Amino acid sequence: MRISFVRVILYLLMTVGALLFLMPVAWMLVMSILPESEIFQPVPHWIPQEPTLQNFRELFKRAEEAPVMRWFWNSLFVAGTGTFTYLLLSSMAAYAFSRLDFPGRNVLFFVVLSTLIIPGQVTIIPVFLILQKLHWFNTYYALIVPGLAGAFGVFLLRQFFLTIPREMEEAALIDGCGRAGIYWRIILPLSKPALATLAIFSFLGGWNDFMLPLIATNEIEMRTLPVGLTIFLGRYSMQYGLVMATAVIATLPVLVMFLLFQRHIIRGVVLTGLKG
Amino acid sequence: MKALSLPAQKRHEALVGYLFIAPYLVLFVAFVLVPVVWGYFISLHNWHVLGDQKPFVGFANYRALLRDDLFGIALLNTGYFALLTVIPGNVVSLLLALGLNARIRAENVYKAVFYLPVILSVAVVAIIWRWMYSTEFGLLNYYLKLLWQMFNLPGEFQPVPWLNSPQSAMPSLALMSIWWGAGGNMLIYLAGLRGIPEEYYEAARIDGASTWGRFWHITLPLLRPSLLFCLVMSLIGSSQVFGQSYILTGGGPHYSTLTVVLYMYQTGFSLYRMGYACAVAYVMFVIVLGFTLLQFRLLSARGEE
Repeated sequence: MRISFVRVILYLLMTVGALLFLMPVAWMLVMSILPESEIFQPVPHWIPQEPTLQNFRELFKRAEEAPVMRWFWNSLFVAGTGTFTYLLLSSMAAYAFSRLDFPGRNVLFFVVLSTLIIPGQVTIIPVFLILQKLHWFNTYYALIVPGLAGAFGVFLLRQFFLTIPREMEEAALIDGCGRAGIYWRIILPLSKPALATLAIFSFLGGWNDFMLPLIATNEIEMRTLPVGLTIFLGRYSMQYGLVMATAVIATLPVLVMFLLFQRHIIRGVVLTGLKG
Repeated sequence: MKALSLPAQKRHEALVGYLFIAPYLVLFVAFVLVPVVWGYFISLHNWHVLGDQKPFVGFANYRALLRDDLFGIALLNTGYFALLTVIPGNVVSLLLALGLNARIRAENVYKAVFYLPVILSVAVVAIIWRWMYSTEFGLLNYYLKLLWQMFNLPGEFQPVPWLNSPQSAMPSLALMSIWWGAGGNMLIYLAGLRGIPEEYYEAARIDGASTWGRFWHITLPLLRPSLLFCLVMSLIGSSQVFGQSYILTGGGPHYSTLTVVLYMYQTGFSLYRMGYACAVAYVMFVIVLGFTLLQFRLLSARGEE
């Protein structure tokens, strides 16, 4: 009897906790389909009397002053292209660091590795000045390229490549396969789990990034969704349904990704200490 | 394929190695290495974006920081934010992990719900909580009022001003940040808990240890590596807090949520004083570096035992 009582309390606490954690996100979803008349109410309308997609329609009508769809595509392009390029460049470097012998390799790897402890915000001002010198301000290059230089991918993939037995490559070498062939046909296919984990976190990071797009752009057309959202907040503070609808648009892609790759993400956090 | 002599083979391998590494290395140099060194160089100059002259001033920017009241406030505020988030946040994460570890049904559903906020952008988080914290229409004040009436507390319920008063603004940002991030550490703690062998608990149970005793003498000591890792990572993360106050409060009211990174941003991108902003960035870097070295020490000390 005593055991089951403890379990009831446990479930009760966990469920209350889960509801508290869920409430803010659930309220965002509900609010995005509330008509304006139901938003400013003394009692929150958890179940809308007249659910409507008016807020979303209104967003498209205002594309001129608030190009939400453009921001959406910017975010998707930046996160997608960034992820693909990051995986390619990091895996190439990781392959060289783990398998090829060349003078200066260990020193280089140590330098790359040691920059992992530098917070991105420390370098944001020089990065901004470099982007200006390159005339990349307000371009996709500015939104994508600085993020490709992070050392984490090289580090993670090198660790993974080191666990792949060398015998497989030696056989391929004897068969006349070049280094590039080994990288492309043996190492990469065998590293799918590590590449997938890195891809998910890289995409989430690119989609959600706030500081780089904030300083690398100032044209409204070149903003990404997170920065666009904050512009909205200032402009439509009295039309919160519109703001919430935009927040939903900014959330849905990562929400779908989370539901699809939940197990990958959870395992990735534990393996790498990354938190998304 | 023509067989190469051994030295030629070595040269070939080195060449291939450089080719593989070159694309990444170019970007690494341009956007990590050069910025780190150049940032320090800039911090030694009076570097106004619009000015023609960028005179060298030595450590004048750092000396000025020592006398800058706003920077002092920003440091204190950031420390206050760390105090409000690091330990309470890790307690929440650990409690959630302990709950998940108790072999409950639908564990994956609970796990997903607690982790969900982590995948959101700081902008989305801020927008949701701006409404949660609304004094008049916010959900928090609404439910607090309900609780107040339910328990027949004396007097009229006074709405909490949350983001609007200097006393409650920073705690509000901290509460929001704990909600946002608790799921990440929860997963690390859960993995740590799952790594503790069941036999230890069996033995303790036979010896008649209480639940609390088992937690205190088995769980916590064996969870030490996870605890250290999560605590220091939270500390490092919280010393870089930016988006929350940039979006929700702009550092106000009365500078009560002005943080170090927000101050750096404002100095650099509103006042265009890049030299001074870089000095702020480097002071922050040294602090974070200190925490990182502390972590290395703590973790390696553990390994030697």
